[in-house]
Amino acid sequence: MPVTEIVTTAPSPAFYLAGAAYIAASVFYLSSLGPIPAWVKRAARLAVVCAFIAHGIDIGWRGVEHVHPGTSVREALGFLSWIFVGSYLLVARREGLFVLGTFVAPLALVVLAAARLSPSGQAVAGLTSLGRLHIASATIGLAILLLATVVSTIYLMQQRNLKHKNFDGVLFKASASLETLELLSKRLIAIGFPIFTVSMILGAIWAAQLREGFDRVEWPISAITWLTYGSLVVGRQLGGVRGRKAALLTLVGFLSALLVLAIYLVRRAGGM
Amino acid sequence: MPSELFVVGLNWRTAPVSVREKLAFHDEELEACLTALVSQELLEEVVILSTCNRVEIYGCTSKSSPASAVSQATSQVRAFFGQSRSYPAEKLADVLYEHQERDAVRHIFQVAAALDSMVVGESQILGQLKAAYGAASQYNTIGVMLGRCMERAFGVAKRVRTETGISRGAANVSSVAVELAKRVFGDLSGKNVLVVGAGKMSALAARHLRADGAAQICVTNRSPAKAEALAEEIDGIARPWEELEHEISKADVIITSTGAREPVLTKKLMKRAMKMRRYKSCFVMDIAVPRDVEVAVGKIEGVYLFDMDDLERLVAENLKERSREAEAASALVESEVIGFDTWMRQQQVVPTIRALREHFHDVAMAEVDRSLAGIQKTQDPAQQEEMVRRLGRSIANKLLHTPMNALKQDGEVELLAKATHQLFSLSTNADEDSDTSAAVSEVVVGTQKKA
Repeated sequence: MPVTEIVTTAPSPAFYLAGAAYIAASVFYLSSLGPIPAWVKRAARLAVVCAFIAHGIDIGWRGVEHVHPGTSVREALGFLSWIFVGSYLLVARREGLFVLGTFVAPLALVVLAAARLSPSGQAVAGLTSLGRLHIASATIGLAILLLATVVSTIYLMQQRNLKHKNFDGVLFKASASLETLELLSKRLIAIGFPIFTVSMILGAIWAAQLREGFDRVEWPISAITWLTYGSLVVGRQLGGVRGRKAALLTLVGFLSALLVLAIYLVRRAGGM
Repeated sequence: MPSELFVVGLNWRTAPVSVREKLAFHDEELEACLTALVSQELLEEVVILSTCNRVEIYGCTSKSSPASAVSQATSQVRAFFGQSRSYPAEKLADVLYEHQERDAVRHIFQVAAALDSMVVGESQILGQLKAAYGAASQYNTIGVMLGRCMERAFGVAKRVRTETGISRGAANVSSVAVELAKRVFGDLSGKNVLVVGAGKMSALAARHLRADGAAQICVTNRSPAKAEALAEEIDGIARPWEELEHEISKADVIITSTGAREPVLTKKLMKRAMKMRRYKSCFVMDIAVPRDVEVAVGKIEGVYLFDMDDLERLVAENLKERSREAEAASALVESEVIGFDTWMRQQQVVPTIRALREHFHDVAMAEVDRSLAGIQKTQDPAQQEEMVRRLGRSIANKLLHTPMNALKQDGEVELLAKATHQLFSLSTNADEDSDTSAAVSEVVVGTQKKA
């Protein structure tokens, strides 16, 4: 899609605060894998909540400056990181699962850094409300699916520990049970997949409005992503797909979604 | 002489179970034993702790007892052990140990924190210690010193448990099996358990699983009578051996402990069963030797297989971790011992402080009473002021008379001078001050005149 205008703004002080809080949260969460005093765990939770609030303020600030989360890849990635952390906080409130934070905090930091470093600040031509809605819903869906992917990754690591009787593995004692992790992943996909489906439909309508064809490489890969998650949801419902197979399918689905994002980024960097 | 704490006892380190069981105190004996001990001349407070791994008597000497009281008190307790348990004194000497004062406090704290237990970090001992404390309270054999020590010991135990990882990880095979099953299922409530074979270990593990919420326990054995007997023992249901495959397909947790020479659960059988249960997770615990489950079963999707070696390895790792944590716990106990020791020393000076306060109060009041009549008689403010000043000097002289005399004695002059400096925060050159010397002479002369 051709670019037309420069749409960017300087980060607010809250952005730097969020970055610092994500770093602190990552350090606290990672150190909490070992035997540490209880206050480190409390500090980790507090730091990630502070980071989420500060990050939210930064997104709000950018909104006031007319920089919508769906305006560019940079904004969308920042928004994805925020939704990802928000979803984790909701899950942590309900399920506990402290170990999840050990992955979420550093990952959120990486995504935020990627957002800052991504070649953006330019809006897509013909970015209508529908286009913004497509990008925003795809971002929300992906953030939830990213969390499901993290949960599935922990599942695979814990399953490997149990199968190989690796009792002194870092995650062995810290992680939740396989059943808990699988159920959580299932629930997250049950929420993320419909949002992702809606975003694909909105994207198709938007592309049709712009009179663009469906011959771009993103479309078949997006379809593969959708089919992967779709088969996972249906397979789980029918009872045949579970455990390691389900966790691997979650990973495959997210990797193909990531591929779509990477192609889009490369295209934008090349000004195509 | 102040009260002093001590411990006399034996434990799993010093005495085998054959001796421990002879020297143990039963609940119904506690009242008589506690009362008998506390009625002894030197003993003021007593607690008896009697568990399968230790028999200990914690005591505190009375305030009025002489300096060597604690040694005599421990001898009395040793003698009591021998007499009440009808155990020869010479054999008793080999198994009994004793700790006094600070060492006794340290020992009590270590016992409460399960640092002195056979399985470091076990939780039972704290409850047993609380029960011993409860019995001593009930029969009024506990007072301020030992009571405070025991209560602090409970606090120390709580700190050790929350601030260190000493209680982390199961410490026996059955508990470890439950812990591992929880790593797969999280919550065991509603899970079906199948016991294959009728070994004692499987019964123990099944009981642990039941306590953790397992829904149904089925028992199957080649001998239906043995299956029935075990099922009755663990509140389960006996199933015919012929239905093994069907039962496996329904079970979430399988415990095997048959005496078969060949594997009972083969890969082929398990594959069929797992297919029937649509590869839902299945936790298999093989505690039989030789093993009942083919090693290849562990490779089937959804099957988590553990044998006796795995369980014992995990127990060993947990115990190793507990030992590592015990170092941190010991440091914590040591800091608490120092804190308690400070409190004990403060308690020792309480009578001195009380006597000093009373003495100062009596002297001051006597002088006030003597001067009050004169002050009330006159209306002249200048005269009144002079009388009050005289009263102040008089009180000071009276109070200083005895310490001054003591300081002028030939004995421990330097020690007393140093103590006086410390007690009254005097400047170091005060002794060289000529005004002070004059004042001292005045006080001594003044008090001598009055006397």
